[in-house]
Amino acid sequence: MASIEWRPEFATGIQDVDHEHRELIGWINQTLAASSQPATPPGQIGDLLGEIFARISAHFALEEHVMSSRRYDQYAEHKRDHEGLLDDIRDIMDDLEAAGRVEERFSTRLTEWFGVHFRTHDARFHHQMPRP
Amino acid sequence: MNWLKRPLRAAFDYAESALDAACGARHNPLAQLGALGWFMFWLITGSGIYLFVFFDTGVTQAYESLESITHDQWWAGGILRSFHRYASDVLVLVTFLHFLREFALDRMRGRRWFAWVTGLLLVGFIYVCGITGYWMVWDQLAQYVALTTSRWLDALPIFAEPISRNFLSNAELSGRFFTLMVYIHIAAPLLMLALMWVHIQRYNHARVNPTQPLMIATAATFLVLSLLAPALSQGPADLDRLAASVGLDWFYIPLYPLVGSLGSVTLWWIVIGIFLVLAVLPWVPPLPATQPAEVHLDNCNGCARCFADCPFSAITMQPRSDGSGFTEEAVVDPDLCVSCGICVGACPTATPFRRSTALVPGIELPDHRIAGLREQVEAICAATPGEPRILAFRCPHGAAVAAPADTAVAVIDVPCTGMIPPSFLDFVVTRKLASGVMLAGCCEGECYQRLGVNWTEARIAAERDPYLRDRISRDRVAVSWASPAQKSMRTKALRRFATALAALDPAPAKAEPTSRAAWRDEATRFVLPVRIVVQVLLAVGVSALVAYFSDTPAVELRGADEAVVTLSFSHAGRLKQECRKLTPEELAKLPANMRRPGDCPRARWPVYVELELNGQVVYAGMHQPAGIWGDGPSSLFERFAVPAGTQQLTARLRNSGRDSGFDFSNTASVELVPGQNLVVGFHESSGFTFR
Repeated sequence: MASIEWRPEFATGIQDVDHEHRELIGWINQTLAASSQPATPPGQIGDLLGEIFARISAHFALEEHVMSSRRYDQYAEHKRDHEGLLDDIRDIMDDLEAAGRVEERFSTRLTEWFGVHFRTHDARFHHQMPRP
Repeated sequence: MNWLKRPLRAAFDYAESALDAACGARHNPLAQLGALGWFMFWLITGSGIYLFVFFDTGVTQAYESLESITHDQWWAGGILRSFHRYASDVLVLVTFLHFLREFALDRMRGRRWFAWVTGLLLVGFIYVCGITGYWMVWDQLAQYVALTTSRWLDALPIFAEPISRNFLSNAELSGRFFTLMVYIHIAAPLLMLALMWVHIQRYNHARVNPTQPLMIATAATFLVLSLLAPALSQGPADLDRLAASVGLDWFYIPLYPLVGSLGSVTLWWIVIGIFLVLAVLPWVPPLPATQPAEVHLDNCNGCARCFADCPFSAITMQPRSDGSGFTEEAVVDPDLCVSCGICVGACPTATPFRRSTALVPGIELPDHRIAGLREQVEAICAATPGEPRILAFRCPHGAAVAAPADTAVAVIDVPCTGMIPPSFLDFVVTRKLASGVMLAGCCEGECYQRLGVNWTEARIAAERDPYLRDRISRDRVAVSWASPAQKSMRTKALRRFATALAALDPAPAKAEPTSRAAWRDEATRFVLPVRIVVQVLLAVGVSALVAYFSDTPAVELRGADEAVVTLSFSHAGRLKQECRKLTPEELAKLPANMRRPGDCPRARWPVYVELELNGQVVYAGMHQPAGIWGDGPSSLFERFAVPAGTQQLTARLRNSGRDSGFDFSNTASVELVPGQNLVVGFHESSGFTFR
């Protein structure tokens, strides 16, 4: 499965957010690599997904904190996008639990989400916000 | 202390249950006593500002101006005067209940001492405001308040001359002291407001406003009460003719009759004793030590959710200390943390789905670790057979969770339901560890940990982070708020939840929710007519209580056919030693800059005084000179009730240190009418006077 690569245009300019984006991409790539190995037991992938769920939840919490403390005008839309991804990840986790395998849509959804979200929401946030 | 707390707690629980049913949990006045206190403060301030516009601060005009405010403009000034008085009385009432309730619910112990102790100091301010307020009216009650307060304060060894001497007679009454009262009556509430702000400093999201319907209902009640029983003065003050009885405001001056019966000094010890006993209550007996929340920086990115949710302002966000790429970190103040765990419930990393790394959240309670909680959940669910199976997280301050027959209930005790992160509910429901989860907390009106109930409900309703995900069917998540007295309500809720769960399709854990609100048993509500009757009864009851005790029952100050003799003077006894010239030898011994021609020791003899009534000594006392060098005047203020009619009075005084005999003596035959205040004064030039 294709991994996600950090690109300079992903940078929001907010130190905490960018730092965690990089960490997250590391976790996601690790999970993508594990799930592309047929020998990886589903339990291990589930554990990695659980970890990703926690990390992304925490990351979104931080991002939302920064947004609300700076009174970002598109906070609601941005947060809705966050919640959508968290729901998707939880769906994928439950599917894995039920079917014992990760569907292809995991990597598609994540790479797509990261690409689009970084390019649209995070980039807009970055441009709207004055540098701290 | 439990022998006292338990019955009190039960009484509050029952009263609150009844008011929950009558007013709804949100508008229950017992659950917002502190906020009601704030509301009273604003009512008093607003009405006070209006009264002050028309109030004349001159000592002779004060009474008349207030009479004019009360009667000539009864429709505004009169009503607002009643608001001012009744809101002040209700302030004492709600403050008293607030103390009693916090004590009964044990919400002032250990690290929660701050609001209790500052609250005690606030009580002092409330009384200063109330007493000076009654003083300003300058009616007969004001006169009683002025004289009694002065007598009480005179017991303190800080005044060179008794304050009471300001109130000897109409002729000697000065407006100066009265102006001081006005100043205190304005300054004290301002300081009180500052202290009220300090009082809530350790509370995040402190509640300072009652709910709107409650505010409206309270103000409307005051309005009706003001029209039916307007606050009135009790006849103008007259220091030369004292009233035989006076109606007291028992909310403000219940202890004043004790000044007469027990004496000022004893009353000071009683008040200081009560204050000290109350002030040490948060530490008696010591609360079992709990470990404060700890932050794990490896899992904290500084998202500030714990900071936002902590009810006790124990968490602050500070610059990062671990050199990671983040800018802030949560820091817990162990002196403020009460170990409620609400911060843990807010932490996004406290999710049981994590397994690749150790389940250590950004913040957690050492006594209730999240990893341990997950193990406990898995173990207890596995060990509880039966369908439907309910997992209940129980708050120890709420009702017990007793499984009704044919319902399998696994119970885990947590410090507060707010400690459970929503993802735990997700975990239990989607992994089918139980058919449903119940968050069994304490009282809905006011949570023991302040915000546990609010935050739990808001998280489940996806109104406050972290959200319980919409994909989780709320049919499988229940809340039950019940105080220990509401045990049957809890059991009923469990039974109904079990029935509701049994009717659900067991297969899908994920469902499209019809509502984001958790399942809850219908709260007990009286039918509408009963609700209205109980609410009206409550308003009438409180109004009657306040209106009655604001000036009744009256206290008898003296018999109807009695007069008063006031023996009072301020007189410096003679010098103990005469001045003498220093000898040349003595002068030579002194440093050059301290040589003086004579030596005049300043110490004076104490003054001994006796008062005889018809040949019987009614008073005899030695009065030491004031001042640390014993060079000030000796002062006295004593009052005696004497029968009206012709009386023979003899006053004698010795001020020269002699052992027997007197330096001054006067006798007078006086005709006293009932209520008359005869002042026996003394001046070295004129001797004793009887006026």
